[in-house]
Amino acid sequence: MIKTIKTSFSEKILLIFLILLGIFSFSFFFIIKNKCLFVEKVDPDKIQFTNRQNIAIMNVECGNVIIELNPKLSPNAVKRFKYLIQNESYNRSAFYKVIEDTLIQAGDLEFGNIDNINYYKVGSGKSGLGTLKSELNESFKFDEGSVVFSRNDEFNTEDSEFFITLKKIPLYVGEYTPIGKVIYGLDALKKIKVGNKVQYVLRPDFINYFKLLE
Amino acid sequence: MRLLLILLLTLQINSLKADEIFNLLKIPNLDVYKLNNLNGLKYLNTKKNFKIGLENNIRCNKANKNNLDEKFNLISKNLSIYGKDFLNKINLRFIVLCENLYISEINTAGIPDHKKRTLILDINFNKKYFERVIHHEVFHMIHNSFENIFNEEIWSNFNDKSFEYAECSTCSDRLGLDLYNKTNGFLTEYSKSIASEDMAEVFSFLITDKIKIKNIANKDSILFNKIEFIKNGIKKIENFKL
Repeated sequence: MIKTIKTSFSEKILLIFLILLGIFSFSFFFIIKNKCLFVEKVDPDKIQFTNRQNIAIMNVECGNVIIELNPKLSPNAVKRFKYLIQNESYNRSAFYKVIEDTLIQAGDLEFGNIDNINYYKVGSGKSGLGTLKSELNESFKFDEGSVVFSRNDEFNTEDSEFFITLKKIPLYVGEYTPIGKVIYGLDALKKIKVGNKVQYVLRPDFINYFKLLE
Repeated sequence: MRLLLILLLTLQINSLKADEIFNLLKIPNLDVYKLNNLNGLKYLNTKKNFKIGLENNIRCNKANKNNLDEKFNLISKNLSIYGKDFLNKINLRFIVLCENLYISEINTAGIPDHKKRTLILDINFNKKYFERVIHHEVFHMIHNSFENIFNEEIWSNFNDKSFEYAECSTCSDRLGLDLYNKTNGFLTEYSKSIASEDMAEVFSFLITDKIKIKNIANKDSILFNKIEFIKNGIKKIENFKL
């Protein structure tokens, strides 16, 4: 003879909990896929800038990033950077080198454009404008959001590539030419796609557009 | 499936975890030991063993914390005699401290990398020579920056015409670092390996045992010329008294 066993109250609670957990997991996995969901949107039109001629706006997948350039520290580097922004050279430039929670690098104009990225050569491209002399400054602190020109092993090889730090890196003081600092939108940069264990990213994120405020 | 798993595991093990130090120096597994030194040197230590170079021919091990703290004082004391300007001129900025440094399976006290402005030092190197070899390695940085001043051909001409250096420092068995009783133009056996090592030996003795070396040189004309050559060369770079 088979006895029917009734489900207890605690078993019912457990069942409801499991169903809710399943729904939550399902929605989290399939619905909330948007990596930019919790990134605060930055609207430059709503911000009062005191130094408008040195404000650059970089638009990436998760929104705007506002950079304040510092021509007093490195006049030639900032002049080059502004020139390339005005020429729209950085538009669709890939963040091909990303060190998780540390830095993101873009600006290879020859091999790093997302439309014809060359994975073998990216990082070695030239702008065609020649290299710049390093403008090093011991007073520039490498805090979160420092924007600097990249270079190869030697100084005086800065061209068009730049990187932005995502954390404080005191080791870099005096090692790279500073361009400016991110003043708004760093969270959007923290969502840039990271490579799998390596610093070079396959199918990387890119700059939608880069423009000067004025 | 099993193959895929093996492949994934291999990738996981072999892939370098890039960080900001690797980005700058291309040496993996380093950590900051001490920045903000008066002469601008930045000291780094090892989180894990590392291998670098062509076919990973350079390797060094993680440094023990106590050993590191003890040797750091000695190393920084020795390197503090070089000022910031001088170090900038010779392209020396980073000191990597690790244990048991090998190049092509030969234990070495240090490996200078002029391009990356880095000197890797083995903190376990023989205590007897340790302080002197620090300056020996510094000289290699000097030499690499000022090859025209420290011309190897001029240097070689100081020696007896019958003497010949080896093809390279690692392809010679002249490795002894003890000071000769009878110098005959060379301070140590290692001095006889190649011209740049000979120069580095003279320089390092001038820093660590100046009086003794000058006394020896008074009776050894070849050595006397070599010492003068080094002293004059250094004077051309900076007013650094030897």
